[in-house]
Amino acid sequence: MLQILRVSGISLSPAFNEGDFVLAVKIPFVISGLRPGDVIVFRHPEFGTLIKRVDHLSPGGEEVFVVGTQENSVDSRQFGLINIKDVTGKVIWHIRKPGG
Amino acid sequence: MFHKLFSMLDKTIGFEQAKAHCDVPCGIYDPIIPQIAALTVVRMIDLMTELEGKGGSHDMAYHNSMSRYVLVKEEHAEKVKQEVRVIWGDYLKPMHIEKYPKAHELVHKIMSLGSKSRQTTDREAAVQMVEALNEFAQIFWETKNVPTKRAKAPYAPGLELVYPNL
Repeated sequence: MLQILRVSGISLSPAFNEGDFVLAVKIPFVISGLRPGDVIVFRHPEFGTLIKRVDHLSPGGEEVFVVGTQENSVDSRQFGLINIKDVTGKVIWHIRKPGG
Repeated sequence: MFHKLFSMLDKTIGFEQAKAHCDVPCGIYDPIIPQIAALTVVRMIDLMTELEGKGGSHDMAYHNSMSRYVLVKEEHAEKVKQEVRVIWGDYLKPMHIEKYPKAHELVHKIMSLGSKSRQTTDREAAVQMVEALNEFAQIFWETKNVPTKRAKAPYAPGLELVYPNL
């Protein structure tokens, strides 16, 4: 239900940076209640475990359009919507790397 | 405090990575490629000096060997420039530059020394290029929080290189 992950890459900088840690929670009602702006962790068949920000959800709430904050981020602008079933957690705690 | 605690746990348990990648997340960058290319430049200058020092006639064999040394020197000096440009342009981001404000100046220095190493047989310039690349490698690995060590390359010309201490 809870997972600690280490952030790599900078597509969510300056909010999230390389070396930060996040605590993600996967509780069904939390995932079903995702909103734009939430930061989520999900599995992608090609890219593995990714962390991105929710831009919007499909009308039925079954798919999520995710984005990074950097313009060259690999996200839904490139690989399309992700299925809500692939969301492995919503970030509820962000532990910044000192000086990062 | 929490980050320190989580870092310790990460080293023990090994948390999963959540990738916030840009571009195609291949992420394979390594300054060892230009470092070795720079060592090759020094090695070629040494071989050229050695060949010239032998004296004798400048026959076909001499010209053949000397041409090959010059060609390899040219190629590897250019390789240094190309590889550093890729890391500088694709890997180093504004946040890195902010932390290492001399990075641009250092890259420019490497470009200049690369050109000088092509144009001349100045060994000192080539050695300076190796050292500038060590500085570059130091910054690169620091951005990844990878500790480094200095060690002599186990082949001629046996200069010291900065390696990741994995």
